[in-house]
Amino acid sequence: MTSPKALQRSLGALRRRQVRFLLLFAVVGPGVITGTVDNDATGITGYALAGSQFGYDLLWLLIVTAVCLVAIQEMVARMGTVTGKGLSDLIRERFGVAPTLVVMAMLFIANAATTVAEFAGIAGASQLLFGELARYLAIPLAAFAVWFLVLRGSFRSVERILLLLSLAFVAYIVSAFLAHPDWGQVARHTVVPTFHLTAPFLLIFITIVGTTITPWMAFFQQSNVADKGLHPDDLPLERVDTYTGILALNVVAFFIIVATGATVFAHHVQVDPADPSAFAKIALALKPLAGHYAEQLFAIGLLNASLMAASVLPLSTTYAITEAFGWERGIDKSFGEAPAFITIYTTMIVIGAAIALIPGAPLALITNLPNIVNGLMLPLLLPILIVLANDKRIMGRYANTPLFNVFSGVVLVFLSLVTLAFLASIIFPGLFKA
Amino acid sequence: MIFLSDFLNAEVVDLRQHRIGRVRDLVVVMTEPFPKVTGVILKGNPKVQSLDWAVVRSWDNKELSLKVDESSLQPHARADNELWLSRQILDKQIVDMDGRRVVRVNDLQLSQVDGNLLLVGVDIGSRGLARRVGLEGVGRRLTSAARRDWPQKLISWEAVDPVKSDVSSVKLRIAHTKLAKLHPADIADIVNELSPDDRSAVFAALDNEKAADTLEEIDEPQMQASILERLDVERASDILEAMAPDEAADLLADMPRDRAQLLLQKMEEDEAQDVEELLAYREDTAGGLMTTEYVGVLHTLTAAQAIDRLRELEPDAESVYYVYVVDEEEHLLGVLSLRDLIVARPETKIRDFMIKNVISVRLDAGPREVAEITSKYNLLAVPVVDEHNRIQGIVTVDDVMERVMPGRMGGRRRRRIF
Repeated sequence: MTSPKALQRSLGALRRRQVRFLLLFAVVGPGVITGTVDNDATGITGYALAGSQFGYDLLWLLIVTAVCLVAIQEMVARMGTVTGKGLSDLIRERFGVAPTLVVMAMLFIANAATTVAEFAGIAGASQLLFGELARYLAIPLAAFAVWFLVLRGSFRSVERILLLLSLAFVAYIVSAFLAHPDWGQVARHTVVPTFHLTAPFLLIFITIVGTTITPWMAFFQQSNVADKGLHPDDLPLERVDTYTGILALNVVAFFIIVATGATVFAHHVQVDPADPSAFAKIALALKPLAGHYAEQLFAIGLLNASLMAASVLPLSTTYAITEAFGWERGIDKSFGEAPAFITIYTTMIVIGAAIALIPGAPLALITNLPNIVNGLMLPLLLPILIVLANDKRIMGRYANTPLFNVFSGVVLVFLSLVTLAFLASIIFPGLFKA
Repeated sequence: MIFLSDFLNAEVVDLRQHRIGRVRDLVVVMTEPFPKVTGVILKGNPKVQSLDWAVVRSWDNKELSLKVDESSLQPHARADNELWLSRQILDKQIVDMDGRRVVRVNDLQLSQVDGNLLLVGVDIGSRGLARRVGLEGVGRRLTSAARRDWPQKLISWEAVDPVKSDVSSVKLRIAHTKLAKLHPADIADIVNELSPDDRSAVFAALDNEKAADTLEEIDEPQMQASILERLDVERASDILEAMAPDEAADLLADMPRDRAQLLLQKMEEDEAQDVEELLAYREDTAGGLMTTEYVGVLHTLTAAQAIDRLRELEPDAESVYYVYVVDEEEHLLGVLSLRDLIVARPETKIRDFMIKNVISVRLDAGPREVAEITSKYNLLAVPVVDEHNRIQGIVTVDDVMERVMPGRMGGRRRRRIF
């Protein structure tokens, strides 16, 4: 017979284990992974360009994007937890073939563009580290490594190492402090919106929105949540995970902008994303911390972020597409078992690497381009998410509350306005003064 | 063929050609073996939201005509055991018994039987996908311009088992137990869509004969080989024995050498010997194409004795077209059709009425030559002989056609069903 004391001891152990589980979950749950992967080559470049060109002016936008992310990622995390299905599953079952084809085509294009950007990030980083010609070796090598490790190696352990390495982002936080920014200015710009009605500002504005709020995050996080097999009772935990991920993402973004704002912008260094030396200029942001090794440190952070996204993005796209059509999938399957899965995954990596290999390609510009594609796709995806999250037959009592609908509606209006403003600036170049 | 997508969004008009609304969904009641359409769910008209299938007079070109006026319409009476096809089945994931994904329901096939519209099949192919977005016609023109077959991929509703897990979704299961009742060609279609582990699970559920027939129906040699490799050796060799020797030899040729050797050793000696002989021939010769299952009878027999001999041999349908007459050393002397044997007087010696001028090919003849000979002389099978005119086997017309015109024969044989 068990003594009451022993029972109490084991209960205590159980509770401690729950606490530990909660902590672990909050640290490496689907939300945190998604948030970390979102700080990819396009993210780092986007934030750094914002800080370099406009100082602290865009800091307030991070609060706005965080709020938008809360609306979107909370919905997908909830849908994944409640239904145990991926987002593609739900879209296909609720809307049928035609809308699914459209969404999948857009997702493929957007993510293929982003994959190109990740390989461009790898190219840029290798150039900073080893000189001009290194990209021609680095890109094929990285493409093969990513392809091989994901399909033939242990993806989970690779993912963990890359996540750990993304602690390198702490460098921006340290560097930002060492640069001694005017914290009063920083605080003011964080809460008081600044807006310039000019084409470059609008471009950076939509870039920040596009790099932070991406369609693939919705698919990626929901698949991850669904794969974890969470129960609706786990919803509070999953929310903590989601918010932690968004917070981590935006804290890094915040300090990248502060670090570049206090260095590159403050010293009036002109950064043109179409210029091959753009990366080297942005790297000045790490000078307060790393001195002469600023470029190397920047390159290592960029390389790590790009590698992680270059493996996760094609994978998440492939999962989404095979899910939509119900095909066999999984990274442990051979070509004979899951031909569509392997083909799509390989194609994305080949496209990404091949385009980034083109000689003389403006790398910082390529890294920036997908932000725009993503920004355009969002106003189309968000209504789909809202309809799904409101469907009582899918969500039962976990459907959106009216208050949440107002919230997500405002987010949708905001994102649509950003997209419209951007489209207007393309169609009527004279509309906003340069 | 009739599909659910033909009905969805179709205009509904009453007796006086007034538009009532559009079709949102069809309702079936779960009758055995095929569910019956009993109602129509409408959209675009707040007053008429549903109607009974009984008031539908006809449909064509995306228009549904009713027998009655709008004013006399009654809403469809809900019953237990009902399913909404578009909402509850269309686009759902099809999973196998272990919950693994196979494919999605791209469309549903309906069929008119005795005035009822029945749900008979599930479309799992690319044609179904194209049809859903209105591009089936375009696709068909493209494929025919490229001289390619674009087969429908359908699974009989009987092979599918809807599981009502919760209100929001109906999962479909391919029930292995139901599989065994299907035609081997149908099973092969389904097996094509499964993952390797599940394929082996399906094969484990079939008896040797059925497994052998199904394996023969699978077009891809590599898939055949991988299925067999996952079964245990005893079972795999049993299935090989039940297969036609030529098919078994083709299959073994696609396997790793040591594995094939192991399987051959486990097979009954007679069958193993047949297969080994065939394995020795190059694949693109008559020797490689032929099967050793033919009906040979001694020239000394009478018609009655020859028929008795046939009864003993119990030949497969594939090899019974012709009866070859041989001497003690298996030299090919003549040929008889079954008809010849049956109409001849029982006591007549067969060498007296056999056709002595036998068309045959040599072991090293190419597939094209064999094809030309079969078509020139209108043969269903042609005997293969060695340099001393000793019969070694026969090549059937479908085997050679499949080699010469790949896809065509295969496509025809695999196309469908009900």
